[in-house]
Amino acid sequence: MVDNDDFTKVAEVGDIPKGEGEAFEINGIEIAVFNTGDEYYAISNRCSHQRAPLHKAGDEKINSEDTWTDERGGVDTEACTVSCPWHLWEWDLETGEHEASGQCIGTFDCVVDDNDILVDV
Amino acid sequence: MESSVRRLESDTEVPDQAFEDEIIDLDFHVNPLEDELLAYVEDDRALDKLTTEYGATPIMGKWDAAYGIKEGQEGLFTQGRAKYAEDVAEASETLAVDEPIVNAGINNLNLQHHPVLKNSVCQAANDYMLDHFADEGVYTSMMVPKWDPDYAVEEIERVAGEDNIAAAYSWFDPKVPWGNEQFDPVFEALVENDLPLLLHGSLSYWPQHSYVGDDMLTWTEVLGFDWPVYAMVNVVNMIMRGVFDKFPDLDVVIQEGGHWWVPFLRYRMDEFYEMHPDDIQITPRKMDSGEKYLERTPSEYLRDNIYLCTQPFALPRGAGDAENLLDLSMADDMFIYSSDWPHQTLDPPTWFYTSRAFDDHTRERILSGNAKDILNI
Repeated sequence: MVDNDDFTKVAEVGDIPKGEGEAFEINGIEIAVFNTGDEYYAISNRCSHQRAPLHKAGDEKINSEDTWTDERGGVDTEACTVSCPWHLWEWDLETGEHEASGQCIGTFDCVVDDNDILVDV
Repeated sequence: MESSVRRLESDTEVPDQAFEDEIIDLDFHVNPLEDELLAYVEDDRALDKLTTEYGATPIMGKWDAAYGIKEGQEGLFTQGRAKYAEDVAEASETLAVDEPIVNAGINNLNLQHHPVLKNSVCQAANDYMLDHFADEGVYTSMMVPKWDPDYAVEEIERVAGEDNIAAAYSWFDPKVPWGNEQFDPVFEALVENDLPLLLHGSLSYWPQHSYVGDDMLTWTEVLGFDWPVYAMVNVVNMIMRGVFDKFPDLDVVIQEGGHWWVPFLRYRMDEFYEMHPDDIQITPRKMDSGEKYLERTPSEYLRDNIYLCTQPFALPRGAGDAENLLDLSMADDMFIYSSDWPHQTLDPPTWFYTSRAFDDHTRERILSGNAKDILNI
């Protein structure tokens, strides 16, 4: 049981498929919630490089059948990272860190309570 | 206090304000499928040789820097692949781009070996673009074959008058720079048809086939610095060799050649020229005209005749530094926005709204004003 005064419900289990993310604006703050299969992670929705919306990671490319990969960036469920859909900056979902630059973006506690996905913003 | 939660459903990916401004994107790549492109080749003998196991535009057998990209050569299609006008419209919509200026994006054609086959691919590319883009109302940069100035003039005369041909597209590279007098007929045809010359980095030269490029082993060096070196060389060569005295109405746009080098060129060209201008008179165009000097200070040609696409912008984080650099770089007169869709250095128009370095005037000049001044639209 979590303290609901601190957490905000954003979705229910099943709303966010494994390997995908959804974006929410909570009290004016944009966050993305990703489902790695084992866990849900909440992270700032904007890449620090050029403010790309991270929840678009994994979207299908235009005419993907004529390219070599299907998606723009994406979630690596094993490495627990998300690659930015614009320039593939890889963000650690747990720490918010981009290893090459050392830059960090915000991460937020995210829990499942009963059937609800809750985020502490 | 009750929290306010809203799921973000929008497909748009850039700040809302971008949708209120007019945005022209001067470097939007189309990538035709090879068999669809080759269907436009008119000469059967050339077509026969373009459809062997080597492919139409084989890459020379060297490693290139694409292994520095997370998805390797897939970086060329990081966002997808536009084949037809509706693909371009779909991509432009999410980026708030109103007028994408498309090109056929066959950037390794310049270094191919066989002049007849190259010309056939060029002819096919222009006809493909006319059919699938210009005729569909999309402004298009026609391809100009740098390797064959006579054929370049023929193609300009054949294609430039078609509806929605907005510019001419060719390449800068480490070989013959564009100041060479062999290109004068091309410049004359471009000016007559009121088309700016867009010079893009040539894929064949990253870093292969140049002495310094061959020793570049990283993505940062190759795409970050090999191309700008040759971009600068070409710009200075054109200015000092009198191209713009002979063709004052010629506009040249450098694409993916960098842009923050403007202060370096601007002050260094003027300093060197004013110190020792005596050799200008023995450059071929001045030998013909009998003039002793350039008609203007070198940096004035930079401001008036040269334009630079901004992708990737690499804007300083500090707004004060960025504003100073924009000013020193004559951005209001020289910079033109480009996205480079769909490549790995994609540059959506975010900087203009997330940095305080841009006032309304500078933003308007870069996003649309400078492009409208020179494009045939």
